[in-house]
Amino acid sequence: MSSLVGFLSLVFAIGINFYLFLSRYIFKFQKQKFNLFIRFSSLLTLLSFFSLMYAYVVSDFSNYNVFQNSHSNKPLIYKISGTWGNHEGSMLLWLCILSIFSFFFSFTKNIEDNFQKLTLIIQAFLHILFGLFIVFTSNPFLVNSILVNEGLGLNPILQDPGLAVHPPILYAGYVGYSIVFSIAIAGLFQNTDDEWIYVAKKWSLISWTFLTGGIALGSYWAYYELGWGGWWFWDPVENISLMPWIAGLALVHSLMMVRGEQAIKKWIVFLSILCFSLSVFGTFLVRSGILTSVHSFAADASRGIFILLIFFIVTGFGFLVFLLKEPKKSNALNLLFINKVSALVINNILMIIATLTILLGTIYPIIIEVLYNKRISVGGPYFNSTVIPIMIPGFLLMSIAPILSWQTNKINNSKKYVLAFIILSVLVILQSYFLDFNTWGFVGLLLGFWIILASIIAIFSSYKIKINIKFFKIINPHVAHIGVGIAIIGITCSSVFQNELDFNLNEGDKFNVNGKTVLFEKIETTNEINFQSLRGKFLFDIEKNQSKKIEAGKNYYPVSKMITSEAGILHKWNKDIYFILGDQKNNEWFVKVLINPFVSFIWLGVIIMMYSGLIAISRR
Amino acid sequence: MNRIFILTPLIVLLIICIFSLVYLLSGKDPNKPPSALLNKDVPIFESSSLYNAKDIIKTKDIKNKKTLINFFASWCSPCKIEHPLFFEIRKKYPELYLLGFNHKDPTSDAKKYLKDDGNPYDFVGVDSEGLIALEFGVFGLPETYLINEDGKIIYKFMGPITMDILKNEIEPLL
Repeated sequence: MSSLVGFLSLVFAIGINFYLFLSRYIFKFQKQKFNLFIRFSSLLTLLSFFSLMYAYVVSDFSNYNVFQNSHSNKPLIYKISGTWGNHEGSMLLWLCILSIFSFFFSFTKNIEDNFQKLTLIIQAFLHILFGLFIVFTSNPFLVNSILVNEGLGLNPILQDPGLAVHPPILYAGYVGYSIVFSIAIAGLFQNTDDEWIYVAKKWSLISWTFLTGGIALGSYWAYYELGWGGWWFWDPVENISLMPWIAGLALVHSLMMVRGEQAIKKWIVFLSILCFSLSVFGTFLVRSGILTSVHSFAADASRGIFILLIFFIVTGFGFLVFLLKEPKKSNALNLLFINKVSALVINNILMIIATLTILLGTIYPIIIEVLYNKRISVGGPYFNSTVIPIMIPGFLLMSIAPILSWQTNKINNSKKYVLAFIILSVLVILQSYFLDFNTWGFVGLLLGFWIILASIIAIFSSYKIKINIKFFKIINPHVAHIGVGIAIIGITCSSVFQNELDFNLNEGDKFNVNGKTVLFEKIETTNEINFQSLRGKFLFDIEKNQSKKIEAGKNYYPVSKMITSEAGILHKWNKDIYFILGDQKNNEWFVKVLINPFVSFIWLGVIIMMYSGLIAISRR
Repeated sequence: MNRIFILTPLIVLLIICIFSLVYLLSGKDPNKPPSALLNKDVPIFESSSLYNAKDIIKTKDIKNKKTLINFFASWCSPCKIEHPLFFEIRKKYPELYLLGFNHKDPTSDAKKYLKDDGNPYDFVGVDSEGLIALEFGVFGLPETYLINEDGKIIYKFMGPITMDILKNEIEPLL
């Protein structure tokens, strides 16, 4: 029953959007009526999504999708997250978020009626495309042709609280760019005043903040769930989330900077189209199963071709409009050797080069396999040695960009900065001389600390310190950059200065980690509701009274017959001690211990960036 | 010059789409690396018959004969779709040995399924824990493998086989 309701409301919502799309040419609507229709279609799409969720919650196995991906033994939260833990459901979530964005956009004030209408019509067009995709190739409401009373279970690797919320937040970021795309295209068509730039700014900040959160959650999940000790693997799916993120970052900066320069406006339109294109391209790569990764779902060529077609239509349409209706050219850029505009241009160029480099590495295996029928994989070594060097000049520029002037080449207080930079360099050189020297470690630390230091100097020397909301809004760009600096320090330390220790242990053995004695207490197996767990129990620092317990092990999920690894992590502010329980051989357990310094700085940096994204949204 | 700059995204888009399309149409599957299992020895297995637990089949029992191995289950609806084709294969190639592995299925369900839809297999092995499937690297049901007289895997197919696949891909190997 709920499946029927879900399917009908999905189809009905697509119908309304089709009607709205035609309204540009055939039926003319009042603004009020038009907005009501948009909101109604959003509610229908929501209803459709919640019907599917309901089917999951009550374990309605007459729905084929529920049967394939759920099990009545699962805890409620994973029944709910099972809704989007599979291809069909996640596409419905995609559509649902698209219509939620349209819903909220229909309430935007201060923009011209026709412009708002045109934006929403483009949204309706996107809704139709993805709606038809769901109905024809990925219908989550199919009826199960056989009668069953139990389901096949959810991929156990997805049975994790972090991953339950990761897809919706990430999708909110991806799909949020649809609004930015629609605004930019509508802007090209109407070619009126610059009001749309302020509207686009807000929405692109919202999308970017969501995307940041989504990527961070995913990478945090990979850190503690995959049990490989790292948090970023240059997996194709990670790469395709990084591309719109970097392009989106370029977009946000351009939107902040624009002062009526036509060239920048043109660039903004280009970036807006690019961001959403990359989002759709990412959806294509994941959903067609064309690239193998931890995210691969069953591959289906017809699905792939359908999304490829959508990608082609959306991106082709966007860039074609851009080609035909390019904004009129007028006042040139005020480029000086070093002022805000030139810093912005350099920053944007670097970000686009980085995006293209990642794009090339990601699709290179496809090209090679088509041409030579060989399977290759492009991974960490390529990306580390190309993307990072491209970003470094951008990071350097970032430390001083917010204090550059618009009109002149001068930097206020430049002596202070030079002095600070010299002192800092000496300190970092000393640090790397006395500890182990590593080029990347040196560069990363210097860069990270320099960004933080320069931003702090800028805050103290350029503004009067007051504790009120307005002050926090003014210093927001510096705060964001401090977040980046902190993240860079975390990234550098945890990857360059990571330490690995291997042990073969019996229960009751004591061993030494980082100068502290650790006791391997025992191995314990227990039966949980939907899995069996095997845990190695460790006591860290037994000499102290408050020794810490660490559990590392594996889970076995009998329904899907899969084993997942569960790392045991002891979090400290300056390092994570990361335990991995390996296999048992000759009555000895293999235990790997990783010491990851300053990992918490990465998450702290990301949280600061998101905070400053939120502040920027509230600022006009 | 400016025009070329603006045209670039469209050209890049076209190139990406063409390559992706060729990739998709060529039926390549990222989960199936080119010829990874092909020409490898069939994994070592041992399984009892669905109908008689004392009746055991081992890897060496299928040496010296061409064998088609099919992983199926009563709960797998695509298996139901391909099921009738095995009767055709049986009729056309009586000398081909048809070995079915019943995957993660209660015995009673499996027996009922083969009673209702018929049993085309020469031998139905039980793989209730999915361990044999693990050895073969089965990704999802159904999956079909063709083994030659030397005990090497010469063909593998994921998903239900169809008339076209039977004619174009399997028959030339028989």
